[in-house]
Amino acid sequence: MRIPILKLHEYLLISIQMELDDMTALQFQEDLLNKIHDTGARGVVIDLTSVDMVDSFIAKVLGDVVKMSNLMGAKVVMTGIQPPVAITLIDLGIVMRDVPTALDLEQGLDKLQQELEV
Amino acid sequence: MNSTAFQVIKHNRLSIIERWQEEMSNFQEGERELTHVTREVFLNANTEFIDKLMAQVTNDHETISPELKDFFERTIQIGWPLNYITQGLQTFLRVTLQVIMDQDFDKEEAFKIYDLLDRSIDGLFNEIVQYTTHTWKNTISVQKMALLELSAPLIPVFEHITVMPLIGTIDTERAKWIMENLLEGAIKHRSQVVLIDITGVPIVDTMVAHHIIQAAEAVRLIGAKCILVGIRPEIAQTIVNLGIDLSEFPTRSNLLKGIEAALELTNKKIETLS
Repeated sequence: MRIPILKLHEYLLISIQMELDDMTALQFQEDLLNKIHDTGARGVVIDLTSVDMVDSFIAKVLGDVVKMSNLMGAKVVMTGIQPPVAITLIDLGIVMRDVPTALDLEQGLDKLQQELEV
Repeated sequence: MNSTAFQVIKHNRLSIIERWQEEMSNFQEGERELTHVTREVFLNANTEFIDKLMAQVTNDHETISPELKDFFERTIQIGWPLNYITQGLQTFLRVTLQVIMDQDFDKEEAFKIYDLLDRSIDGLFNEIVQYTTHTWKNTISVQKMALLELSAPLIPVFEHITVMPLIGTIDTERAKWIMENLLEGAIKHRSQVVLIDITGVPIVDTMVAHHIIQAAEAVRLIGAKCILVGIRPEIAQTIVNLGIDLSEFPTRSNLLKGIEAALELTNKKIETLS
């Protein structure tokens, strides 16, 4: 099962709506990078509203995806991280300090726009 | 209780009561909770106590009689100290032992009688301990609930700006509650900036700082910013002396400065109308 990646103008939108296992996450990493390469997107929003569990591996993959995308010239914002997920991540000691976050998709897009304007 | 013991107590009823009254009448002195109780009320209570206790012991019930239980509960509820009751029971035991010793029993017989008496008083001890711990537990849980309700309110002050004032000591349990409330509330109010006001937190040690940092990190993960406000001079000193690193997120000295910073972050401004 693959995670769909939608293109909206110069942005890519990803809403993760399934249980993320290790394989899916790695597949997603590859797909996203290819898509960035194909479309030349400048911004990416990854929405985690319907994800209710993130383990340390998934967190690492997500952090890596952000760094890789930045290397390819696309800014990434994570949105909709749920309180239980945030608490789990903090308890695991994962702070994802370099990853910009926003409350929801709308604010995420605003944030991207701001960052790209600078 | 076997008939000999029963007979002895019944026979010496008056002298037991008299000696008991004598010993217990001194109890009122030195008890802070009893200083406002008049002598008459205290002696009346004593009389009621020994009468009901005597009835309980001589009636040879396995369980505590409703009258005695009622007396215990009443005494506790009006705020008399628990050791009034324990002292009363112990005195009763001691006095009765003296009376038994005064009789011409051989050692074995006397011991048997005392043992029976001891057991029946033990049951009363259990009953009263159970009752009081139950009451205390109830009180504590009610207070805990009340405390939680006051624990971590989240107040929206402007669009996208929310304040959480913290008052009182923060322990691990409360920190957890604070974090949950903070995250849920930030999402509910769609906050971009959350101000945590620690003006009312008396002590900020490494543990409290750790909890606050964790909360701030979690807030960042869900996509809002956290500003720590209300840092008093002594708190600033402890934080630096303890080597706690708060440089990761912004701090301000008071709520006013914090709100100004928050407005700036959300591209808002308050202007005086000319």
